[in-house]
Formats: sequence, C-alpha cells, structure tokens
Amino acid sequence: MELVDVDTQHAYDRIREAIITLELGPGTLVNEQELAENLRMGAVPVREALKLLAHDELIVITPRHGLYVADISLPDLEQISEVRFTLEPLCAGLAAQRATADDLMVLEALRKEQAATAPGDNRRLLDVDHKFHQAIVRAAKNKYLIRILEHFFGLSQRLWYMALPRLDMLPTSVAEHLSMVEAIKHRDEERARRIMHDHVKAFYDQVRDILNP
Amino acid sequence: MLKAINKTIDNRHLNPWTLLSAESITLNTDRHSRGTLVLGIDTGGTYTDGVLLDYYSHEVLASHKSLSTKRDFSIGIEAVIRGIQIEDPTAIQMVSVSTTLATNAIAEGKSKRVALLLIGYDPELIASFDMQGRFGTPHYYYFDGGHDLYGREKTTLDLPGILAKVGEIKNDVDAVAVSGYFSPLNPEHEHRAFDAISGICDLPVVLGHQLSTKLGSVERATTAALNASLLAVLKEFIIAVRRAMEHRRIRAPLMVVRGDGTLMSDEFAAKTPVETIHSGPAASAIGGRFLSHLDQALVIDIGGTTTDIALVENGHVAVTEEGATVADYKTSVKAANLFSIALGGDSHITLDSENRIRIGPQRVTPLAYLADQYPRIRSNLKALSQRSDVHLSPDWLEHWYLLRDPVGADWLHTEQERKLVDSLAEGPRPLPEILTHLNLYSKVQIDTENLMRREIIGTSGLTPTDLLHVEERHSAWDAGAAKLAMDVFCRCLRYDPADFREHIWLKMTETIVHAVVTFLSGKKLTLSSHARDTDIGQWFFRNSLYDDHPQLKTSFRLQPPLIGIGAPAAIFLNSVAEKLHCKLVLPTHHEVANAVGAVAGSVMITEEVLVYPQVSGDGLEVLGYTVQTGDHREVYEEAADALAHARAMARERALGGALRSGADNPQVIVKEHSDGLDTFRIRAKAVGKPRLMRLGGKDHGVG
Repeated sequence: MELVDVDTQHAYDRIREAIITLELGPGTLVNEQELAENLRMGAVPVREALKLLAHDELIVITPRHGLYVADISLPDLEQISEVRFTLEPLCAGLAAQRATADDLMVLEALRKEQAATAPGDNRRLLDVDHKFHQAIVRAAKNKYLIRILEHFFGLSQRLWYMALPRLDMLPTSVAEHLSMVEAIKHRDEERARRIMHDHVKAFYDQVRDILNP
Repeated sequence: MLKAINKTIDNRHLNPWTLLSAESITLNTDRHSRGTLVLGIDTGGTYTDGVLLDYYSHEVLASHKSLSTKRDFSIGIEAVIRGIQIEDPTAIQMVSVSTTLATNAIAEGKSKRVALLLIGYDPELIASFDMQGRFGTPHYYYFDGGHDLYGREKTTLDLPGILAKVGEIKNDVDAVAVSGYFSPLNPEHEHRAFDAISGICDLPVVLGHQLSTKLGSVERATTAALNASLLAVLKEFIIAVRRAMEHRRIRAPLMVVRGDGTLMSDEFAAKTPVETIHSGPAASAIGGRFLSHLDQALVIDIGGTTTDIALVENGHVAVTEEGATVADYKTSVKAANLFSIALGGDSHITLDSENRIRIGPQRVTPLAYLADQYPRIRSNLKALSQRSDVHLSPDWLEHWYLLRDPVGADWLHTEQERKLVDSLAEGPRPLPEILTHLNLYSKVQIDTENLMRREIIGTSGLTPTDLLHVEERHSAWDAGAAKLAMDVFCRCLRYDPADFREHIWLKMTETIVHAVVTFLSGKKLTLSSHARDTDIGQWFFRNSLYDDHPQLKTSFRLQPPLIGIGAPAAIFLNSVAEKLHCKLVLPTHHEVANAVGAVAGSVMITEEVLVYPQVSGDGLEVLGYTVQTGDHREVYEEAADALAHARAMARERALGGALRSGADNPQVIVKEHSDGLDTFRIRAKAVGKPRLMRLGGKDHGVG
C-alpha cells in the first residue's frame, strides 16, 4: 500500500511484515506503546498503521480488550482459498490475453529464480512464489483485481508461513509455473486458467492437511 | 507569552517573506496579530541549532544550541526539541529542518549501497572521459537501450539483461537507480525498467528523469544514484524528527530545506533526499538575509567545522544553475551558489611537515571543552607546561578519547583497534603516550578511520576556540586549560603567546578574505609562503591585506555589506570586513540565523515540460511536436498547440506539486526557454509560503 505519511508507511510495512511472517503470531496482544518503542517511532504513526492493518483484517481492534493480531481459523482458510481459486485463474486468463513482452520477461525471470533456488530455502521460495503470483495479477491489467488480490495475498501469506516448516510442494510448483508461463506466452487462456486453478487448489489442499491435525 | 508577542510586533516597512522566493512574486501578506509560532532547526557538523520564531512578527522568542552527534543527527535534534523553551508546544504551527545529513552521508561514505543501471550509455565514451568514478556508486552496469535527441528509441531495451543483473545483485545492494540516455525526452525505458525491477524485488527504485530534466546524462545518473543511496538515510531521519516532535506534543507539519533554501514537505524530502544537499548553508544565507533585511549582501557563516560563503542578490540567495557538487560528485541538483572552506572555530591548530602553523582542515574538540569534561586534562597540561623543552612537541596537545563504549565486539575490527580502545578506557590520552602504548612511531601507523567514522574515538587539540578562551572572548569552558595548552604550543615554537594569537587571527582573516576573493572573482589564487614569489596576483593579494609596498597602494573593496552568521562571526569577521573595506552587519540572533533560515524559505516546486519535434525516419521532415513531462507524453501537429498545451500542463503540475508539498496559496510563473533545434523547455515555478497548521483543528490525540 502506498501511503503519504513517511512514518505511517514505515510502521505499516514493518508491522505487516511481522504479522505475515508470524513474528507477531495470530492472537498476540498488541501494545501500541511497546510497538512504537521497538520501532523507535512515535505512537501516532503506529496507531495509524494499526488502523490500516485492521482494515486489512490482520489486526483486530476490540473496544474492551485492545488490539490483537487476527486469529487464523480453518473456516477462514476455506473462504480465502475460495476467493483465490476463483480470482487467480481469472487473472491468469486475462494475462494470457494481455501480457506484454515485458510482463513475460518478468515471469520468466521469476520462474528461473525459483528453479535456481535451493529446495530447502523455503522462505526464499515462498517470496519468489508470491512475486510470481503478483506478476500474473499485474499482467492481467486490471487495477481492481490487483487491489483485491493484494488483500488476499496478505491473508494467505500467513497461512504459508504457518505451514512453512512442513511444506514440501515447492518442487512441483516449479514445473507448474513453467507450464503457466508457457500457456500465457502462447496466449492459451483456457490452459492458463486451468493450470492456475489446479496450482492454487493443490496448494491449499496441502496447507489444509498440514494445519488440520 | 502572547502578551509579549503583541508588545513587540515588528513594524519594519518591508515584509521579507515576500522576497525570499527565488522569483519576485508578491505573495499574500496577511498579517496576523496573534502569535504564530514556528520552530526552525539546523543540524550542522558541530552544532544543532533551534529557534522558536513568531512567523509574522519575525521575532525570535527562544533559541537553543546543542552539540551534533554525527553518527545520528536525530540525537541533536531531539536535544534541541527537548531543550528549547516552549510554553505551549501545541501552538507551534510548523517545524522546518535544514540538515547536512545528505552531504555528510555522501562525503563520509555512510550512504547505502546502490546499483546504478545505465541504459543506452556508451561505456567507451564514459571511460574515455574517465567519468566512471563520478557516478556516486562503484556498482554501475551498462545496458542496451535509450533514446536519441528526438525521443526516438535508439536501441531496443535489454530488459532480460537488466532482470538478470538485478536478480544477481539484489541481495547485495539497498536500492537501485536507473538512468536512461535522453530519458527526459522519453522516459519510456526507465519506466519499463522500473516496472520490471519492482516485479522481481522489493528494493526501492529511483528513476533519473524524475529528478532532473536536464540532458547531462552523467550528472543525471549521479543524481539518481545519490538519491537512491540517501532514501533510507533521510527516511530514518524524518521518522526520528517526527518522533521527537511527538514526544513534545508538537503536531505541526514538518518541512525540510532544499539546497536552494526553498522548503518541501517531509514526504517530498523522503522521495528526493538528494535535494537536501547543501541545505544547511543555504538556510544560513536565507536566515542572514531575513534577519538583516538586506537585499544585497555577502553572507559568511562561520561554524565549528566550516566557513560557508553565499551571495544575496536582489533579495534572493544566488543559485547555481550548474548543479550542486558534493564530495567531488557533480549532480544536477539545484542549490545555492556556495563556497565552503574547512575553517571554523574548532579547526585544529597544528604544524605541517615543514613546521609551519596550519589551521584545519580537521575539526577537533577544543581542549577547553575536553578539560571541562575531564578535569584531569588540566593537571596533565600543567605538568606538560613544566617539562623541559627537549621533551616537548605540539603532538602532546593532541588528545584522543572515547566518545562512547563500542557496544558489541563486532564494532572493533582489528587487534590494534581493540588495544587502542582499551588504552583509552581510563580517559583521554595524549597522542605520544598512545603511540608508546601501541609500540608505534607515528600517527600514520594507526588506522583510526573506522573508529573515528563511527564516533567511537574523538580527537581533541588546540583550536581557535581555545585561544578565544585565553582572550576571555569566549567563556563556556575551561579557560585555564586553554591557556596552558597555548603556552605549550608557543614554547615549542618559541613564539610569544600574544604574537602567536595575532598570527592565528591574521591567518584566519587571510584565509577567509582569500575565499571571498576567489568565490566572487571565480579566479584561482594559490597562496605560497615564499616571499620571493614573482607572481603579481600573489603580490596584489598580500599588498592589499598588509599594505606592504611603500608607494603602490592596493586594496579590496567589497561593494555590498557583509552579513556575519554563526557564533564566532562577531569575533572573526571584523578584521575580514576591515580588509575588504566593507560594512559588517551582525543581525540580532545572527548566531542562530541558520535555524531562522530553515523556516524563512518559501515552498517551491519547479516543473519542466519539454517540447521537441518528432522527425521522420530520415530526419528531414517534422511530423509533429512531442510534449513530454515526467510520465506523460502527447504529440501535436502544430508547434503552437504543443507549446500552449505544455504551458498549461507545466502550470497545473507545478501548482499541484506545490499544494501537495505544503504551499499555501502558491503563485505560478511560467517561462519558456529554447534549447535550439526547435526544442523548448517550459518551466513553471510555483511558490508559496508554507501552509501552517490551523490551530483549533482536529486533535489527533497523543495517548
């Protein structure tokens, strides 16, 4: 998110990252003052940032118990995944229609980076995977889809981090990304859509298994 | 406090606010009778100064000086904001800061690591002019692409190459800068590079055409690289200042001074930190102009570390069109035309290799101050003064001391550094003792760069400030210690103390006069100490200062008056004015004029729109006229239509920019320049007073 305020932006970026990477785990109580001190900032920008994060559904503000990091529940997971495997295939299809040569180069670069990353380096693989999905959304050239999915990426990235220690699907995703780039390159909408659907669905199936004991 | 302000409203006939913009524009001069408080802060290399000013009456209500901490300028700012006398901080309606942060970060290599991507530049051409070292970063890479003088694509953009390079280095740099050949005429390749790079990494990306519309490709690349290297530095600084403001419950807009003395909002500054280069000296000049009400003057600001000279002409601080130079890097940043010399109150007085007295260029802590902090120093100096001459050398006056504990072990890189820090644990020690302790013969054998840069150890020595203590013209610290130190120095040189001081004052006067003469004349004059030199320039200079020749009388005559700024100005500039045969003006509060200047500037936004012909492939036929702004491009059939559109666009963009940058009711003037070849540059300048916070507005509440 692009904000005007220099310090609110900084606080927003830092706190959001801490929540997504589970440094601030789901359900953690958030003390504004403490957070401000840790970030070496004033309380006002931190408060502003927390409000924005409440908008992002990463922070919950309760009148009586203060602030806490939003919990993750299985129903949440289902609902988030429903949205993602409806909208992301839509993006993949649009990308197949609209992707420019530059978009394809970016996808290609990310795919190569993913392939070159050591299989055990899950954190980096996740980051590249995230950028790959963002690049496809961007190639779809629809600013509303960009905004909506950015919101859902924020929510689902937390799930990835929770599943991270036991996740091992990334090698297969290398092949899937390759065929997705191929489909977009050949302007094959239908195929791009299908690959994306299966890709996202397979991922959520695995995350569900990991999180569901 | 309000009563006091009402009582002392300034009824001077001129309203200097209207004259401080770079162009003569009459601004609304709505005078408020009640106090409108603004806080101006200047962070210099030695001191951080703050003033609380009544915005409309121009009265300085309070001021505060605090020592700067170079490793973290926000410490000094916090001290000033904490320390300045403010009865009601919520009444402050604007805070404005000038800072040498950017200049210092570049000069001391403390800025962040930047990858500079050069699109369409010719590596061989750059190498043939030996310009690789001028880019402001050692990590620069060439790629195919770029445009020609008519905005036509010169070569296809090598985006795969750019992506591969960024992928390879993204973990080793903190930011990326992109500069395309002729990108102000057509920024397409820069935009495409930006989109692609942001797709594969999270690094901040700076584009050259957004910082400069000038066509000088090397300067633009340097500016982009320096800007990228300063993004994080300035962001941290702004966050720290806002935090300090919040701690004192000041909820006002924060402005930052540019190198030409104009103001921009903190959001703008965070995006274009490179524009703050030279903002400190520019603020001094504006402050001097503001406090003195003079429209023609030469402003000299004497600080602890440097002396800065600027010219005020027709009420404005003269600006250089060429672009600011910092640490040998030529940029395309507009800045005040300044001349800076490494001479100040805290310049180190030492001997050079030929045993001649030298003042500066290093800045050290005055011994009077060190003795004030460590009373043992005075007895050490006493013992030193009683030693026999054989064992004495000026080196004994140079003391090293710990500025702070090196926290983690990783702060110390070498065994020598550890040993040195250990030896200083008990307090400051003179240099010869340190050398003995380390089993060394000379200072050059100790690598202190890391320790000095991180401000772990500091140096103290004899300075002009000490001599002022001896003469009782300054009395902040230990005058006794200063006298002992001076006596030791004089004994080493077999100088009479009074003659010695006279020599130092003369030498300083000479150096400043020399700076004034070379600055105004634009000519070089190397001063040699050989009396038999036959050069007439040298003779003229010396004769004009010392009236040596029995028949030939020469002298310098500075037409405008001299405005003295900075605490030691009153002391040092009298003799300078005498030698220049001009009037010296020391406005009230001249010692904090720099901080006054930080709030005295106008908010200004300049927007340039380029209009140039679109020619056919063979270059013989004009097909139309391109109107190019930073991110917008349109083609018109007729030049007149293109120009009309460009004027409207420039005006609109400048106005919008000024409003976003915190200007109140900005006025716009549009000017047209021809670059030849049917190419035009439409420049719109929007200038306004900074928008102050409305009191009684919404309370954001500090919890």
